[in-house]
Amino acid sequence: MIEAKGVSLRYPDGTVALKDINLHIKPGEMVYITGPSGSGKTSLLKLLLGIEFPTFGSLKVMDKSMVRSRKGRINKLRRRIGPVFQEFKLIEGRTALENVMIGMRFLGKSPRKIKEEAINALKRVGLEEKIYSKVENLSWGQQQRVAIARAVARKPALILADEPTGNLDYDNAINILKLLNSFKDSNTTVIITTHATHLIEGQKDVTYIHVNNGSITVEREELAV
Amino acid sequence: MKTFFYNIGYFMKEAWRTIRMNFLSNFFSIIGTGLILFLLGLVTVGTIIGNQFITKLSQEAEISAYFVEDMGVDAAKELVSEIQNIQGVWNAKLIDEMQACAMMEDMLGEEAKILELFEDNPFKAFIEIRIDLDAMETVLSQVASLEGIDYVRDNRAVLKQLQSIIRGVEVVGYLITLAVGITTLILLSHMIRQGIYNNREQINTLRLLGAPGSFIGFPYVLVGVLLTLLGGGLAIALLILLIDGGYPKISGTIPFLPLPSQTLLIQQSATLIVTVSVILGVLGSLFGLSSIGKDNR
Ligand SMILES: Nc1ncnc2c1ncn2[C@@H]1O[C@H](COP(=O)(O)OP(=O)(O)OP(=O)(O)O)[C@@H](O)[C@H]1O
Ligand SMILES: [Mg+2]
Repeated sequence: MIEAKGVSLRYPDGTVALKDINLHIKPGEMVYITGPSGSGKTSLLKLLLGIEFPTFGSLKVMDKSMVRSRKGRINKLRRRIGPVFQEFKLIEGRTALENVMIGMRFLGKSPRKIKEEAINALKRVGLEEKIYSKVENLSWGQQQRVAIARAVARKPALILADEPTGNLDYDNAINILKLLNSFKDSNTTVIITTHATHLIEGQKDVTYIHVNNGSITVEREELAV
Repeated sequence: MKTFFYNIGYFMKEAWRTIRMNFLSNFFSIIGTGLILFLLGLVTVGTIIGNQFITKLSQEAEISAYFVEDMGVDAAKELVSEIQNIQGVWNAKLIDEMQACAMMEDMLGEEAKILELFEDNPFKAFIEIRIDLDAMETVLSQVASLEGIDYVRDNRAVLKQLQSIIRGVEVVGYLITLAVGITTLILLSHMIRQGIYNNREQINTLRLLGAPGSFIGFPYVLVGVLLTLLGGGLAIALLILLIDGGYPKISGTIPFLPLPSQTLLIQQSATLIVTVSVILGVLGSLFGLSSIGKDNR
């Protein structure tokens, strides 16, 4: 699913956000990325989504090498990814439903199906009552859940969620993590960054990636036999 | 392609939303485009009328041959059949004094009363020769050299003059069409660029979700076509008003000007305006769209 060899990322202003990352993630893996603020978590997700490209090293996502010159291919790749952005990137002036639907419109599904699945996704994040509310009238936590619904409704092969529980209370956070976890069963790879280590501790069959100052350490919790 | 049809509803809504977002500027750009296209419509109408006039005149290229005073009717008839055989002559016909007078009465219509002032019929008999315009030179000289022909009158000078006037109008027309095209394109691509700028966040998000360029761009093409079509509609409305109001007046003052039928005129110019609108709409929005950065962020 993801194959990184000696990947470094240096921003144009000289900031080195990631150093010599080596990583191998299999399909259907559940991955938590933790680390202090500014350590490089979002930067790592940006590489996976083709927003940034490795300065050094090679990176493959779903067998596609991530190189700047392959814009068209990366565009296609993104259609198989469900991203949840740290700052949501919802489209203002539209309802929650429209926001979820717009992410599905170019995936070859019929409008009826899109609507049905979008409503479903919004129900799963507990927003059935806000389906027709404009997103700018929703609270932060609600907006975050719309963003999550948009990502999962696409039924992606890879979910990249940047701090998806950042604005949520304990119950909602647990609910969202459960929802994201449930995609493991459909062989979807789920990568979540989070500060909330207390919510994810002690899980089995997951991978933890600790990012510190641009370097990572990987820790796999095997399924207890 | 399937995705395209699935999304037609969405595209239309998006286009309308984009127009509404910046309604006033879009409204004025419709008016502007409308006036510009109206200009194009005027040129078209002018050209159609002018061309029809020319064709009519060329078809009716005819010369009148007057024969010497003392020629008898039989001799005149012989002369007619002789002329008939000249290459380039379609038809030759003897018009006697009475017919000549009747023709003039016809042409003058109401004002034919003037003719009553004459005691005798002031018109002379002549041979009306309808000819192929291209053969005018040779026919003229051949007819003139026939025995018994006094002199020959032709409408060549008038025709030439008209032709050059209409050619001038045509050149002006091309220039105006060019100006119309360029102005509309500039206006439109500016409007589209503005729409794209207003929607930049959304476009950026769609990119991050992997939306194809066509999906992102199509609503703007629709916006462009919609703006020019609305402008075109305005132009057609103005044109119809003008033709409806002006037609009776023109045909009243210039009785011999052969005007094409009103509906035909409107149909033809409307078709042209709509076609040009769509073409300019698509081109303008494509120009505007080229301003979407190729950035992937
Ligand atoms: N576009 C950019 N240009 C320059 N430097 C950047 C850019 N984006 C991020 N950085 C820097 O790269 C480093 C890693 O940032 P990143 O956003 O990946 O951290 P993070 O782990 O996601 O932090 P947080 O937990 O606060 O979201 C930081 O020092 C940050 O300032
Ligand atoms: Mg971050």
